[in-house]
Amino acid sequence: MGSDVNLTCRLCGHKHRPIRLAPGERALCARCSTVMATEGRFGPEAALVFSITGLILALPAALLPFVIAGKLGDERVCRLFTGVGALWDNGMRTLAVLVFLCGALLPVALLGAMAVLHVPACLKWHTVNIPSLPRIVHILEHWAFPEVQVLAVLIALIKLGGLVDLTVGPGFWCYCAMAVSLVLAQRSFNSELCDPAPVPCRTDAAP
Amino acid sequence: MNLRFSPVRFKSNSTAAALAVAAAVMLVPANLLPVLSTETSGYNRSDTIFSGTVELWRQGLWVIATIVFTASICIPLFKLAGLGWLLLSVRHGCPHDSRRLTRTFAVVDFVGRWSMLDVFLAAFLTGLVQFGEFSSVQARSGIVAFAAAVVLTVLATHAFDPRVLWPTPAKVSPNTSRP
Repeated sequence: MGSDVNLTCRLCGHKHRPIRLAPGERALCARCSTVMATEGRFGPEAALVFSITGLILALPAALLPFVIAGKLGDERVCRLFTGVGALWDNGMRTLAVLVFLCGALLPVALLGAMAVLHVPACLKWHTVNIPSLPRIVHILEHWAFPEVQVLAVLIALIKLGGLVDLTVGPGFWCYCAMAVSLVLAQRSFNSELCDPAPVPCRTDAAP
Repeated sequence: MNLRFSPVRFKSNSTAAALAVAAAVMLVPANLLPVLSTETSGYNRSDTIFSGTVELWRQGLWVIATIVFTASICIPLFKLAGLGWLLLSVRHGCPHDSRRLTRTFAVVDFVGRWSMLDVFLAAFLTGLVQFGEFSSVQARSGIVAFAAAVVLTVLATHAFDPRVLWPTPAKVSPNTSRP
């Protein structure tokens, strides 16, 4: 990245000269102290690893049973999309779409977008210049809520404990692992990749 | 001290204000209408967000009740109050404490997602508890209004431009600082 490239704080708009960060170090805005860039503790490949792990876990999370509920001999298997389907059948289609987007589709899309951003840099391929992709990642970050869904399921399990017999299925554990992978990928995500620089994951030393 | 403040981008912040007002309006039916109805062995019960929280508390699930109360009642109100404060500060032209206002915006931006807890909870319970006449749970119209309020507050936060809280940045700037 050239020294003429500035880092602009997203909250206060203050411009800074880029600096080189050591692993685990964060660059704070000199004016409002917002974290502007981080250098992942586990190296530049960590975000890619966590993104791919999350993507792999998304498939069993979607297909395997989340929770198996039983009452008086009747058994019901609940998967990731069972609630979405129930809302859809109930006539609440907009709500069903919202739950589907925020709980399933957008987290996977976010993992995919982060993986696409990191693959060329980590594997030393040609940098894929998709100018809108970093912006897409930023938007997806605001609408992907898998950790909230995990908490909601845990609350539901505690709430229903005395009402029905519950067995937590492997799908739920895969979903939890996917949510953790997503959080770790986001924490390792290097925003410097947003700039199609020849040497990503690093910033130039401050003059 | 002669500080120049950025010209307020009315489009951005008026959009944020409109969305925040819409969210406040949607919070009224969200809190008055039932969000879930439960049928257990012929006994029907409909709960609003607040009555559901009270019921959890009565059952001795205090931690869960506190989490649900915080996510479904406190956070939406905090977000609207925070956005209102930010918008009023910008409207009055000269934010007194830009750093504190920016931190408020960052907190409002961060906590917003947790309001979706009740929506996911209703979706999951509706999908799981379907045992015919023995036990069933149905989502009710209040949850649609609540989801709309949550989405509108998130959109309002996105529409707000926090840079207007600060004076126009200097052309030549210092380096970033390390913690």
